[in-house]
Amino acid sequence: MATTLTINGEAKSFDAPADMPLLWVLRDVLGMTGTKFGCGIAQCGACTVHIDGQPVRSCVLPVGSLSGRSVTTIEGIGATPAGAKVQKAWLDLEVIQCGYCQSGQVMSAAALLAATPNPDDSDIDAAMSGNICRCGTYVRIRAAIKQAASGRQS
Amino acid sequence: MRMLRILAGLAVIALIAAGIAVWIIRGPGPLAFAGGPMVALADFRGANPTGVPASLAKASAVERGEYLAAAADCMVCHTKPGEKEYAGGLGFKLPFGTLYSTNITPDKETGIGNYSDQDFLNAVQHGRRRDGAMLYPAMPYTSYTYLTDEDTLAIKAYLFSLPPVRASAPENTLGFPFNQRWAMWFWSTVFSPNTRYMPDTSKSPEWNRGAYLVEALAHCGECHTPRNIAFALDNRKKFAGAITAGWRAFNISSDKATGLGGWSDDDLISYLSIGHAKDRGTASGPMGEAVDHSLSKLAPEDIKAIVVFLRSVPAVASPDLPATTAPAAPASHREGPTADARGKIVFQQACVSCHGWSGASLVSSMATLTGSWAVNDPGATNVAQIVISGTKRHVPEDALSMPAFGASYSDEEIAAVANYVTARFGSKGSKLTARDIAELRKQTAQ
Repeated sequence: MATTLTINGEAKSFDAPADMPLLWVLRDVLGMTGTKFGCGIAQCGACTVHIDGQPVRSCVLPVGSLSGRSVTTIEGIGATPAGAKVQKAWLDLEVIQCGYCQSGQVMSAAALLAATPNPDDSDIDAAMSGNICRCGTYVRIRAAIKQAASGRQS
Repeated sequence: MRMLRILAGLAVIALIAAGIAVWIIRGPGPLAFAGGPMVALADFRGANPTGVPASLAKASAVERGEYLAAAADCMVCHTKPGEKEYAGGLGFKLPFGTLYSTNITPDKETGIGNYSDQDFLNAVQHGRRRDGAMLYPAMPYTSYTYLTDEDTLAIKAYLFSLPPVRASAPENTLGFPFNQRWAMWFWSTVFSPNTRYMPDTSKSPEWNRGAYLVEALAHCGECHTPRNIAFALDNRKKFAGAITAGWRAFNISSDKATGLGGWSDDDLISYLSIGHAKDRGTASGPMGEAVDHSLSKLAPEDIKAIVVFLRSVPAVASPDLPATTAPAAPASHREGPTADARGKIVFQQACVSCHGWSGASLVSSMATLTGSWAVNDPGATNVAQIVISGTKRHVPEDALSMPAFGASYSDEEIAAVANYVTARFGSKGSKLTARDIAELRKQTAQ
């Protein structure tokens, strides 16, 4: 099925079955490999992208359901104010260890800050609990979100 | 002499009392509510309500049987997950032991390969096995008894067209007195109507087609009608809902608040054809299987006939259900119920990425919780079951599955998240305990 989607502000056209998950379209059809495949059942958060600004697990999201909606991926998140702040804080605090889960972490954190500019710990728990990190960088993730929100090191 | 007379008198009174008790327990038949004059099929003037849709009228017996076997949903019970279709062996965990479904492939030794037409009719319509033993009513012959001979034998032709599979079902593990098959003769004599379908002349041909599909083939009442003390259907509360195999089959009577009375035709058609209707939830568990393997294969005119029939079933309220389902929950995690901290922790780890804080899924409308009876049931039976065993649907094509969490969360955690979900997305939160979850795990069919 020929489809056109707005991804990171650009119109992208491709051919894919309507029930193909968005993640497969991004990685295998469009070659945008910044978004990662983790569990495939919406349980780890590695594949998180934004649909109209909302964080969604792209590994289970049928691409046919997206017409008229705008997709933001890790490749484009730095162009948003919240995304830029998150990326800077992530680098300042050296959050990343192996990095595999981090595109998903950054996407969830950026969506959190866009909706809740000054999140407390319960907001962070509510937004980030579904993003799993095998290296256990959770403490630095939490600190980086607070720094991105306040602009100063906590 | 006088003593004898008193004893004889007492015996007569006891017999009459027993007869009245049986009559009261037995109650009305499944179609008694319609009330119109019933005639033999041959004397009905409208279109024949039995058989297959017009598009299959000229098809072979095997093709007609394939449609009818799907409509009767033979496969789901006669197949063990992961094993060959129709080869039996699925266990039914009942309060008095486990029953195993039989192999109905045409294998001569372990299946039904030696069944004559009459043997097959006896089994399906009368619950009598080839060797004369009575079947347990887990095989819904009290419904299938309404099938015409022609339709029953078309199903046989279809089953005999399948490859024979050599597979013996495990022995049943029923305790005394339930292991005494001969006693089922008495049960059957009282509780099986033992009659072919008789059209109601006061109703339309479409209603009669719906009645035939619902009562003779789809056997909806076997799950959706409560049972009496003799474990037979209590049609005084026809379609009022019941717990079957650890899942709640909800009220499908025409009750406006807690049944189907408030559903539009489109809602019902959608739910029956694909197992989902907007703002009404998604079929899972046994109903998901019924849609995937049976109802989704029915012709559109048959689905419509089912809707016409369902609408005519008298309203019976479910007093434990709220009068209206809850609206969408707040978009923020901060608002809404806070009582169950543990439930919220599980929800934000495992559930929110698909179901959202509001209950409206960003991933698929099939994952939207808002409006479903499951989250509005203060018993939370189906919420807990879906968390334990997940849900895997085959229709529609882009249907999403939900992983099973039974192995990754403890009974305490599953109880907590079910209580949180019903409090957040339903009208009244449940109060499940770890013990309830352990019990539900036991009840689920394998």
